[in-house]
Amino acid sequence: MPSRVTPILLVVPLTLYMLAFYALPVASMLLRSIADPSWTVENYLRLAHDSVFLAVSWNTLRTALVVTLGTLLLGYPVALALSRLRHGAAAVVLAIVLLPFWTSVLVRSYAWMVLLGRRGLINELLLSAGLIDSPLRLLNTPLAVHVAMIHILLPYMILPIASVLRQIDRALLRAAAGLGASPRRVFSQVVLPLSVPGVVAGILLVFVLSLGFYITPALVGGPRDLMLSMLIAQQVDLLNWPYAACLSVALLAMTLLLILVLQRLPAVRAVLRAATQ
Amino acid sequence: MTSLDRRSFVGLAAWATAGMAARGGTRALAQSASPPKLPEITSIPDKLKGSGAVRIAGYGGTAQDAERTAYFQPFEKLSGIKTIDVPGADLNKVKAMVDTGNIEWDVVQLGRSSVKNLMKKGDYFEKIDYELVDVDNIDPLYRYDYALDMLVWSEVMAYRTDAFKSAVPVGWADFWDTRKFPGDRTLTGAGPVTPELEFALMAAGVPADKLYPLDIDKAFASYDKIKASVVKWWETGAVPVQMLSDREVVLASVWNGRMAAIQAAGVPAAISWQQGLLKRDCWAVPKNSPNKANAMKFIAFSTMAVPQARLSMLIPYGFVNGKSAEYLSEHQLGILPSAPAIKSQLVPYNYDWWVDNRDVVVGRWNKWILA
Amino acid sequence: MDPGLNLRLSSWPALRRPSVVAPVSGDARRAVGGDKTRGASVALCGIEKHYDSVGAVRGVSLDVRSGEFLTLLGPSGSGKTTTLMMIAGFETPNAGDIAIDGSSVLALPPYKRNIGMVFQNYALFPHLTAADNIGFPLKQRGIDRATRTRLVAASLERVHLSGYERRYPRQLSGGQQQRVALARAIVFHPRLLLMDEPLGALDKQLRENLQLEMRRLHADLGITFIYVTHDQEEALTMSDRVAVMNEGVVVQVGTPEDLYDRPCNRFVAAFIGESNFLSAVVRGIERNMLILDCAGTTIRAMALQTPTAGEGVTLAIRPERLRFADGTASMAENRIAITVTDMVFAGDCCRYLCHTDSGASLVLKQPSGSTGRRRHPGERADILWPAGDAVIV
Repeated sequence: MPSRVTPILLVVPLTLYMLAFYALPVASMLLRSIADPSWTVENYLRLAHDSVFLAVSWNTLRTALVVTLGTLLLGYPVALALSRLRHGAAAVVLAIVLLPFWTSVLVRSYAWMVLLGRRGLINELLLSAGLIDSPLRLLNTPLAVHVAMIHILLPYMILPIASVLRQIDRALLRAAAGLGASPRRVFSQVVLPLSVPGVVAGILLVFVLSLGFYITPALVGGPRDLMLSMLIAQQVDLLNWPYAACLSVALLAMTLLLILVLQRLPAVRAVLRAATQ
Repeated sequence: MTSLDRRSFVGLAAWATAGMAARGGTRALAQSASPPKLPEITSIPDKLKGSGAVRIAGYGGTAQDAERTAYFQPFEKLSGIKTIDVPGADLNKVKAMVDTGNIEWDVVQLGRSSVKNLMKKGDYFEKIDYELVDVDNIDPLYRYDYALDMLVWSEVMAYRTDAFKSAVPVGWADFWDTRKFPGDRTLTGAGPVTPELEFALMAAGVPADKLYPLDIDKAFASYDKIKASVVKWWETGAVPVQMLSDREVVLASVWNGRMAAIQAAGVPAAISWQQGLLKRDCWAVPKNSPNKANAMKFIAFSTMAVPQARLSMLIPYGFVNGKSAEYLSEHQLGILPSAPAIKSQLVPYNYDWWVDNRDVVVGRWNKWILA
Repeated sequence: MDPGLNLRLSSWPALRRPSVVAPVSGDARRAVGGDKTRGASVALCGIEKHYDSVGAVRGVSLDVRSGEFLTLLGPSGSGKTTTLMMIAGFETPNAGDIAIDGSSVLALPPYKRNIGMVFQNYALFPHLTAADNIGFPLKQRGIDRATRTRLVAASLERVHLSGYERRYPRQLSGGQQQRVALARAIVFHPRLLLMDEPLGALDKQLRENLQLEMRRLHADLGITFIYVTHDQEEALTMSDRVAVMNEGVVVQVGTPEDLYDRPCNRFVAAFIGESNFLSAVVRGIERNMLILDCAGTTIRAMALQTPTAGEGVTLAIRPERLRFADGTASMAENRIAITVTDMVFAGDCCRYLCHTDSGASLVLKQPSGSTGRRRHPGERADILWPAGDAVIV
């Protein structure tokens, strides 16, 4: 029956692509972490009491958490505005949101170096306003990493939330108001819970991307802002491929664990269930 | 990060973004130094002639443009061997190519330590054919069985000339002296680069000729003293010159080639050559390269006096052929680490010690930096 | 099987029970205690609504009496839904006033108007269970959880959905969703319930059952219903009064009988039920009956308006009021000669398509059980109708 075969044929190219360019490299990486030069799980056993790995992992997770929270707090109101604006105005806001996408990460990170520097725009403004007496240390601090990463990742939070918000039936908002809910309660009891799928998608995207960030922390971070990706790169350069592979697997595991945990949150489960039934 | 992988980042940051780091500096340099009159090469020894092609991997960007003018074009014209040059030279790629037997490069530009490190892992490179090479004029320091140095550079101290009234920092003891030279600093960290324990040891009073073998404990004890003043342990050469330009720091360890750009852009900064480290990039031939013979001819050609002098005229990196100096002006020699007057102030980097101890140092470094 | 098909009228046990603890607010007190609530009266006074200078509602004045079931009936684009939305507070009139129980509500946002509302596509919250949907208005009114649970249960029972508390909207059929929406709209005992084409998405059988159910609910609750529909049959079946709207104005307000028997113009006559239209010229007036000349035949009609002699008018007659002359005509009946063009059997009746000698088309409905002889296409006949059944429109 062609009607049954066709859908399968449609996904064949992507499946082959994913096998060749994703599954295979991941498998070979996994293999390398346990079988290079000979079969051993020593690399993994080492991780458990590898103080550098633990500190860097914690650093990476904390940064990803802060960045995710930051993008959520800054992005949600923008997404809300985006979903409520008329088409023309929405297009303008969308363009502003997407503007960072049109510039390379490297250039944006350098831009933050210029802005946050001792003689940067922010310090100059604060100085001329008389708010501070001497320039603040902004660049090469965890704060700089967070600010720059939030800026770069903001669209990944805004877009999925705005898309979900746009799909909410306006009649539901009217119904809620008609049934006695003040605008604030319409938001907290109807809009917010219905936007959870978008929020989850945004959180996942931003968090996962944050875990793998390299350039930005390397450029604007402080001495101790070592991320897992930087450690992996360092170990690759040292030709410690098995150990680097092992670190990569740890990063992958961390990501998968996060997805698993998020999926099990009661709020998310309720929404996913409602969406599939 | 998604849109730009780390490899291209390192490549970019290391070479192509020099201009951006200095905000237009490279452009300014290119314009001020109106195209230098390069010495021509009219003939080459017959032993360097041949046929076919040679595939060369460099770091890309302006450096590879210079190499094309200095080496690739005259070699192709005079030898009859076609040159195909690509960017993206990378140690890990060489390892992958040799491991899989799919050799895409015949000659690759690498740091001297990279070649030595990989040779420690296995037989990854061909032996250099010194029969072809102008050995009489090339310092033995620059010669290694599996690679031939082709670019001399230095990791040196740089400072803002407007930061200290009349005092000029000379040597690493001054760098460590935060009372005499107050202000923030940046030093080489660990990533694609390795921390320069030599600086810490010289700051602690170890004489330049008694550095090796490095006393790791002593070096980290010395680092402890400067840690609070170092706002950034950089991993890519664009960062320290950027920080000097932006007045983020007053003192930095830098790659000498980066300084000309910001100086040309008008940044009041200077190099203090004393106790700098003399480092080299080299040509190496991946094991079982199909055009091995051509590769050897190219390597021999590019390390001759005139091609070496041509490159030093195009970018501020030094030559390995002693005779090259004859083709360069006093002014040009003033910024080249291989110029005799400067070379004598520098400490040759001991690649052998580092190959043996790098893993230990970096492991120790990671713990130290996170503590 | 929809549980609502088994119609059962229950009273409001929870609301009738006098021992209920009175909560703090007045609204809440009304919601949980006391007797059958008195419906609100609604007065629309010259309201207008323009969108980009296009008038959606152009001067609507209407008095809805306390406890009345009033339907706004009209074709799409007639302004009925916009009028309803202005009462609810979702739209603000450009001119005019809306008063509930004598005081203007224009300054009140929707959530302070305390009006129950049922939407066209139910507008149930997809992330809440049936019970939480129904409990939503109670929660907004600060009613405690225990009372809420009790009221929700009672409300569900009222719409015959007991046991469906934990279902999500998408696990319910269309009819069940509609019942939940209804339960949600009345659970807090509003004094006014607005419904915007609530049965539009349901099939005919279910729609008729729910119509009946709503009618009973109305009688039982005693509150005012304002109902919007484009379905004239639904309007006639359910309403105390119907306001017919067309192009932004109210064309006629009256009981279903009024509208059916005495449409004030051709639009109402055509929109409500089926009508035959005949052109005629006024000859005079005689004992409250108009004497008309219809293509050479003299006929009589109700004198609801007083046209002058010689004026051309249009006469409207319902198809089921026409019958074939079988030799038993009375003096009070009009007679006109026709030719049968076509006959269609429609179950409860036969529809005859006829044309007069002057070429006007007429439809005649003959009940299936009628003793009258069937006519065939091409046959000539006389048709009769009582003079009082024809109106000038």
